[in-house]
Amino acid sequence: MRQFDITAPTTIDDAVDGRHTFLAGGTTLVDLMKLDVLTPPRVADINALPLRGIGADEGGHSDNGNAGHGLRIGALERMSDVAEHPDVPPAVRRALTLSASQQLRNMATIGGNLLQRTRCGYFRDTTMPCNKRTPGSGCSALGGNNRGHAVLGTSDHCVATHASDLAVALVALDAEVRLVGSDGARTTPLADFYRTPGDTPEIETGLRDGELTTDVVVPHPERAAHSTYVKVRDRQSYEFALCSVAASLDVRDGVVVDARIAAGGVGTIPWRLPGVEAALRGEPATESAFAAAAEVATHGATPLTHNGFKVPLLRRTLVRALLELAEGSTR
Amino acid sequence: MTARPDAPLKVTGRATYALDNVVEGAAHGYLVLSTVARGELASMDVEAVRAAPGVLAVYTPFEPLPLHPVNSALLGRMWLPLQDKDVRYHGQPIGFVVAETFEQARDAAALADVAYHERPAATSFSDGLTSAVDAQPAASEAPPSLTVLADGVASIEDALEASDVTIDATYETAAQNHAAMEPHSALAVWSGGELTVYAGNQAPHLVASDLASAVDVPVDAVHVENPVVGGAFGGKATSMPALLASAAAVALDRPVKAALTREQVFTATANRPATRQRIALGARRDGGLVAVRHDSWSTTTREIGFVEPTSHGTSREWYTTENLAISQKAVPLDVPPATFMRAPGEAPGSFALESAVDELAEAIGMDPVALRLRNNSTAPPGEDLQWSSKHLDECFEIGAARFGWADRTPGGRRDGDWLVGMGTATAMFPGLRFPATVGVTLHDDGTADVATAGADPGTGLLGVLRIVGAESLDVPQDRVVPRLGDSRLPPGGLSGGSTATASAGSATMVAASTVIEQLVALASSEEGPLRGHDVGYAHGTVYALDAPERDPMTFGDVLRATGRSTLSATGTTAPGEETTKHSFGSWGAQFCEVRVHRLTREVRVSRLLGVFDAGRIINPRTARGQLAGGMIWGVSAALHEGIEFDDDGRMSRRDLADYLLPVNADIPDVDVQFVEHPDTLLSDLGARGLGEIGIVGVAAAVANAVHNATGIRVRRLPIRIEDLLEDG
Repeated sequence: MRQFDITAPTTIDDAVDGRHTFLAGGTTLVDLMKLDVLTPPRVADINALPLRGIGADEGGHSDNGNAGHGLRIGALERMSDVAEHPDVPPAVRRALTLSASQQLRNMATIGGNLLQRTRCGYFRDTTMPCNKRTPGSGCSALGGNNRGHAVLGTSDHCVATHASDLAVALVALDAEVRLVGSDGARTTPLADFYRTPGDTPEIETGLRDGELTTDVVVPHPERAAHSTYVKVRDRQSYEFALCSVAASLDVRDGVVVDARIAAGGVGTIPWRLPGVEAALRGEPATESAFAAAAEVATHGATPLTHNGFKVPLLRRTLVRALLELAEGSTR
Repeated sequence: MTARPDAPLKVTGRATYALDNVVEGAAHGYLVLSTVARGELASMDVEAVRAAPGVLAVYTPFEPLPLHPVNSALLGRMWLPLQDKDVRYHGQPIGFVVAETFEQARDAAALADVAYHERPAATSFSDGLTSAVDAQPAASEAPPSLTVLADGVASIEDALEASDVTIDATYETAAQNHAAMEPHSALAVWSGGELTVYAGNQAPHLVASDLASAVDVPVDAVHVENPVVGGAFGGKATSMPALLASAAAVALDRPVKAALTREQVFTATANRPATRQRIALGARRDGGLVAVRHDSWSTTTREIGFVEPTSHGTSREWYTTENLAISQKAVPLDVPPATFMRAPGEAPGSFALESAVDELAEAIGMDPVALRLRNNSTAPPGEDLQWSSKHLDECFEIGAARFGWADRTPGGRRDGDWLVGMGTATAMFPGLRFPATVGVTLHDDGTADVATAGADPGTGLLGVLRIVGAESLDVPQDRVVPRLGDSRLPPGGLSGGSTATASAGSATMVAASTVIEQLVALASSEEGPLRGHDVGYAHGTVYALDAPERDPMTFGDVLRATGRSTLSATGTTAPGEETTKHSFGSWGAQFCEVRVHRLTREVRVSRLLGVFDAGRIINPRTARGQLAGGMIWGVSAALHEGIEFDDDGRMSRRDLADYLLPVNADIPDVDVQFVEHPDTLLSDLGARGLGEIGIVGVAAAVANAVHNATGIRVRRLPIRIEDLLEDG
């Protein structure tokens, strides 16, 4: 860890001066600073900012979007508090509960969670080439241990997965993120916020210099209420997803009317699956129909040396999640 | 049942581990590790390191810290860091930076500019098989290969060919790190020609001797303390921090602290090697074993060093067979060194052998428990020495009944979306003793110390000393104070080889009976309170045999009456004649139930039972804890744990987020049962080792259960989701 200056702004205006790296729960930033992966000279502890609250959306810092029709979650709310809130839809609650450990969830914030960095071991090891950490240095994962890496949205420059469970659930539920910077506030769909690596893997989001996430809004509470999150991993807690699926499903008279689906652990960003959603609409809510639609999920997947299993695993995880919703039970 | 004497300190955070010791003026050392796997150091530019704030000294192979050759009692000729420029593996210690604070040392170390003459590294086990060489199995005088053939049988191949049913399969197990909660660390204090080292280890008296050699001072000038140890598992026979901190403390003439970071623990210590094992079993239709062939390969360093004895540790002894052939080879690679880890040989060896036995049971169409009992050995094959006390059949009978084994069906069963299967395996660990000396000291306040150098890294030895001491002195346990973790105490109690209870326990019995003789003699002596009487000892008291009207006296009373504060004796025991008369081993039956999701294929262990035959159980509470811990480690080996290397030799999982160990959610209630048959042929105490047997067989029981549930036989550990996806 390198020496750094730290301040603790009490207003948003003071915070968004473009000079500081934001510290909220610290569960990503401090971790990566200890590894010398991040060496910010100036850190702003934003925990005193008024970015809390879970409840009906009242428009937040912008006047577009779904004001009044969704659930607003302040960016500084802790993962554990959100996970326990009764108004939060099941997919989000489960994604949070299945993340990290209770101790980490007690510290980590919603805003920080959405902006957490990848768990790629080469990104975290400063002795190894990594285009995301040091642009142009190369990607060690391509020829290295890539069992945990992405099969969707990859490029020749980066194959790291996005690590957040929460983001997968929020992308599936069409959530929006509100941002504020020195130029004012704006709102963007979370699905559009993340960037696939392409040839600039160091750019992970549409966040502008000095910009701060203030809120997340989950629209359509009635649709989100019938949702789930299935996470498959090597151990039952405190582990990132090999593959996960967040889904909401609307079935009437045994026929799928609507589906919203995203996958985690398999993509360089939280991976929305519109093709699967389209393939499900109008189909019977049966395992064989789900399996047929799941085939669409892995079209164009590019497995690496060690992660080919993620292709069938994604299809299987999809079927499992959809069956849970169709059968109205979680098991 | 006796509580751990050290538990209150540990659960309240008041236990003083090595690094918790505070000494004024202590400097802090930080290791620099290599970032290539093979080659030579071309240069190390440490100018910036030296110029960094607070730096006191920088040691490298170019400006080494003086270290003298060490012939370790436990490890043989030890490799010493910073003495030569060869790089043997990625993550090898190549520098040691000492500064006023830990942070200064760490930040300065990051400024070292290292250049290598790099050479191609061999890091792939499978590629290395072609360069395998015969190798002596660790901790054994046996030759690499051994064959026992029945009369008239020309070769093991002939015996296999003549069998009604044969199976032949190859199994692989992953390398593992001990990953003790307490990283290797030390505080070394050099003062007045004496070196005091606080460092977690498994035998302070042996470590003191190693350190005395390393810094070239007389052994009686070195004092090693390890009253509490945060886990060892075979990996704390020595440590780089203890060596480097000791030498730096002498060189700088000030106290030096050093600790490995969690990432450094994975390469700057030593690991369990990866293994590959090919097993062929031949049997008659009735299940009787005709031939066992078990060939083993262990990864090693280029200097060979430690070789994981998988076939010698299992097939050599476990089953009755007419014909046996085992072999051991080393596959030299440019990887970190290997060493002992919990049940070395038996743990990975049992995965292969006990999986193979399950495969044979299936091939014959015989119940796996019945097949094992059909071939239950009364002595190692080809040897005359019968097992001293073996009740494996009872373990399986109790276990099968308790587990509901009769409900197992060949194809497993289904519960909703979960495929459910059961598996079993034999567990075995040799019954050993090491020489041990224990001191018993009676105090005039009526308490007694039971002391030996050794260590209790969580195993429960402190409680054993208390129980055996109290029993031998015939006093309540609260009057006995067990003492461990100090090289100046009598030499014994090494934590290793599942020997401490039988070794230190039997020495405690000798010491106690000697001190009682001295007490009785003192009481009846000219200066004693019972002079002129015939004196006896019972219930912790001395009494006059010929004057029953006189009140019995506690040993405290006798000491006070004679103006003494203490009375001490030592007792020494060592393996002896018994090893020429019997074979010794602890045995067990492992049972496991798993649930595998029919779609996503996660394996969840839903039930675990181990029934163990380890002689007399001294403290059921800590015995159960030790065995349950081992069984959990077996689940870890089966489903989670494994060191992986990149092609260039870099270890790719080096922290406790990426190097997977099971969490509570992965482990069901663990049922541990004992069949208690004291083994007084091994020692008067009747206890055999149980420290290591808990892990043995568990990985095979898991794999066998997975096969029962899914029909898929996985022959490589750890078992992962991708192994169970038919379409993967």
